[in-house]
Amino acid sequence: MSTAMNFGSKSFKPRAPDKGSFPLDHFGECKAFKETFMKCLRDNSFDNSKCRLQSKEYLQCRMDNQLMTKEPMEKLGFRDLIDPPPSQADGDTKP
Amino acid sequence: MLLPLLVRQSLCCPRVLLTRCVRTLRCDAPRTLHSQAERFLQRRLPLRSHAQSRGVKSRSRKSKSQEEEWKNKNKTVLTYIAAAGVGMIGLSYAAVPLYRLYCQASGLGGMAVAGHDTEQVETMEPVKERVIKITFNADRHASMQWNFKPQQTEIFVVPGETALAFYRAKNPTDKAITGISTYNVVPFEAGQYFNKIQCFCFEEQRLNPHEEVDMPVFFYIDPEFDEDPRMARVDTITLSYTFFEAKEGQKLPLPGYSYN
Repeated sequence: MSTAMNFGSKSFKPRAPDKGSFPLDHFGECKAFKETFMKCLRDNSFDNSKCRLQSKEYLQCRMDNQLMTKEPMEKLGFRDLIDPPPSQADGDTKP
Repeated sequence: MLLPLLVRQSLCCPRVLLTRCVRTLRCDAPRTLHSQAERFLQRRLPLRSHAQSRGVKSRSRKSKSQEEEWKNKNKTVLTYIAAAGVGMIGLSYAAVPLYRLYCQASGLGGMAVAGHDTEQVETMEPVKERVIKITFNADRHASMQWNFKPQQTEIFVVPGETALAFYRAKNPTDKAITGISTYNVVPFEAGQYFNKIQCFCFEEQRLNPHEEVDMPVFFYIDPEFDEDPRMARVDTITLSYTFFEAKEGQKLPLPGYSYN
């Protein structure tokens, strides 16, 4: 890549992540969730769409152990995996 | 008899008083002599006619005013030129933030992409038809003694869907080592659509002796990836991380022009 550097074309410019850096999980508190996620990936031939629940749980674990700033799951793109709020007593249904 | 005539003459025209006097004294002399005498007297007399004196003064005044006018014109022209020069210098300084704004609005150069904000994560819809393979690569600097590798070689995602991936780093030595990493995305043009929500790059990460950690990367591909004609043939994106050893007091600068 370096020897065939083409100065005419655009080069890659790294960008800082949106929410910064993950603190390291030195004590392996969320290792179990990670293993579940990796197993799910291996079983589903590494298809991310099928393992979104496990990734959501891993991030939830991180938030619980102060390894990640707490944020509502919608903001992390898990809007479709959030449990709907319990319906009202008089029975009006939500779409 | 001549006296009243004199007086009358002197009263009516004090300007040519002396000439008239001469005329009245020699009233019966021939005209040529009178005219000659008049002319002679006029030349001798320091008194010049007002019309004449006015003319000379006005001529000099006219040239003076003209000179002044030219001077004023020159001054104004010079002022305009100086103002234009200063304006140009100011414009060149102002061009830097203005150009940045323009790039952000138009998305040119692939560096600044408008609409790249955290609100998008909440509202974006996954484009389920377009499956992209993300391959992972891990590198380290020659002097970096960590073991660094990805935990999956590839993962299939669709644009608009957040994805999680893991790397593993192990410190096999007996002393704590601090590392810092940077990343790269190939192909370059796809890099602008590759948005990391959170990762482990650009900050120092310290590993104690014989410690092993999982390093996650949480990212998504912008849904607009599907609409870009240049990306129509792109099916594989490679994410490559490289770890370096962080020396004391050294700080990897955050990439410039990051609008996050």
